[in-house]
Amino acid sequence: MDLKPESPAVLADRIRLRAVRMVAAHGLGYLGQALSSAEILATVYSGVYRPGLDRIVISPGHYVIGAFAAAAECGLLDPATLATYGHDGSHLEAIGTERSPSIDLTCGSLGQGLSGAVGFALSDRLRGRAEARTVVLVSDGELEEGQVWEAAMFAAHHGLDNLIAIVDANDSQVDGPVTEITTIEPIAGKWRAFGWHAEDVDGHDTEALATALDAAVAAGRPAVVIARTSTTTGLSCLPDGTDGHFVKLPQELAERAATELEARLA
Amino acid sequence: MRRPPYPTVLKPYGTALLELARADERIVCLSGDLTRQCEVDLFRDELPDRFVNVGMAEANMIGIAGALARAGHVPFVHTFGVFATRRPFDQIVNAVAYPNLPVRIVGFMPGVSSPGGPSHQAVEDVALMRALPNMTVVDAADATEIRQVVPAILDHPGPVYLRLKRGEIPVIFDDGYEFSLSRAQRLHGGRDAVIIANGMMLPAAVVAADVLADAGIDCGLLHVPVVKPLDAATVVDAAAGARAVVTAENHTVVGGLGSAVAEALAEAGSGARLRRVGLRDTFAEGALTAHHLFQTYDLTTQSIIDAVWTALGPGGPTPVAPTSPAAVGEYSPV
Repeated sequence: MDLKPESPAVLADRIRLRAVRMVAAHGLGYLGQALSSAEILATVYSGVYRPGLDRIVISPGHYVIGAFAAAAECGLLDPATLATYGHDGSHLEAIGTERSPSIDLTCGSLGQGLSGAVGFALSDRLRGRAEARTVVLVSDGELEEGQVWEAAMFAAHHGLDNLIAIVDANDSQVDGPVTEITTIEPIAGKWRAFGWHAEDVDGHDTEALATALDAAVAAGRPAVVIARTSTTTGLSCLPDGTDGHFVKLPQELAERAATELEARLA
Repeated sequence: MRRPPYPTVLKPYGTALLELARADERIVCLSGDLTRQCEVDLFRDELPDRFVNVGMAEANMIGIAGALARAGHVPFVHTFGVFATRRPFDQIVNAVAYPNLPVRIVGFMPGVSSPGGPSHQAVEDVALMRALPNMTVVDAADATEIRQVVPAILDHPGPVYLRLKRGEIPVIFDDGYEFSLSRAQRLHGGRDAVIIANGMMLPAAVVAADVLADAGIDCGLLHVPVVKPLDAATVVDAAAGARAVVTAENHTVVGGLGSAVAEALAEAGSGARLRRVGLRDTFAEGALTAHHLFQTYDLTTQSIIDAVWTALGPGGPTPVAPTSPAAVGEYSPV
């Protein structure tokens, strides 16, 4: 893979800029998911995930916008196709589907991706692919689904040490902040109690993420990185009270957002 | 084809799967904490490296199976029919059926064959699975058929739901039987009426057709192990000219074999009167024996005879089904 030479922090803003342009074409969309996961995806694609050898699972299908942007930045997807994102007839649907390129599994129905990642990790074990990793992005809202914990129990019991989960803890779900809907804390404590190695870091700090992911690789058991993020980070132009689940991005705001990111990347 | 009472065998499915798996390393066996009950203790004991007990976590089990299939394995997933279909329905949709992956979901203890009450009685599993695009649905009737279904579905490109009786499995068909994923089985023709059955209702349908023949009704019998895709051409052909068609299934009449046949006949413009023997849009109940439940919910040989008789309306007393309680090791229709 020919990664861009930039640092993961720069790559993160490039992902944001791609996402802004993809959402701008519609005036609204899953921009918050890209903003919260930009550093996570940039760090993952810069190191721990090795296309061709490893698997990548995007459990919340709404996050596929960020995965498309990251894949385009990393030469895994023709950037020109991003212009079709979310449009009629496009293979780049706004919520991930079977047609979504550049990823091994994505789930529009929440809470299912970790089971799929477990299946991939199990397959690698059955086939003796000891070097291969499965990296799975999970959102904090998904932790409300019981299936996530079924999969977590299974992974720990079977010692799937080639499995790395990253929880984008952006405290956002459809009806508001996760913390107001259901208490899911202590997130790291729950995973540890389920037998996982767990790290809890600032999800917008690429160095902290990289260090945590290195520790996850070396953990010798399934490992999770809880990445604390927000759905508006990296775009100061977004109005206060922006709904991070489904951001409204009228043309004028989209232009300000692109200008802000371009200035930072210049 | 034999006549009842039928000899029974144990674990024809588990034996067939193990035989297949010995020769094919793609096969992975998943169990949801019902390993012996689903006959795959045979697999676990001989091929433990490819046996995975996922425990009581059906949603996770389906998700794992989907990814295994994506990676090139052929997962066979085992639990009771209720837990195989109701509980992980959304997972089957998203992880298996929509991606059209070769996952084989095997649900044991169909319909009211469990005296364990509605929580354990898979009375709508066929309807649920039949509603899913890409899904093939098989309700097997006997040990001879089961032994053939397992290799027949191995290389089928999409997902399969296989519905199997638990425990003692009757041997109804002779060794010359040939299961087909695409053809219904026309066991014998008949001009007046045709009975269409599958799964655990086949033995009752066989006896019902014989009793009706003795009463002067020229009654055909069609066995339809593959409910989806339905062999509509054979169904319509068997019904052509008949004045009555009666379906018999160990399942609700909503969405299963009876519905599939009704759709096929209606679309073909068939003029035959249709009666459906099955659970009449009701949950059942817990009991001591399955036999009692088959009688309570009108899933008996007599139920089929009654349905044909009233549909044809020949007058006179309705023929009575023989009672032939099975000896130990035998299987008789209810």
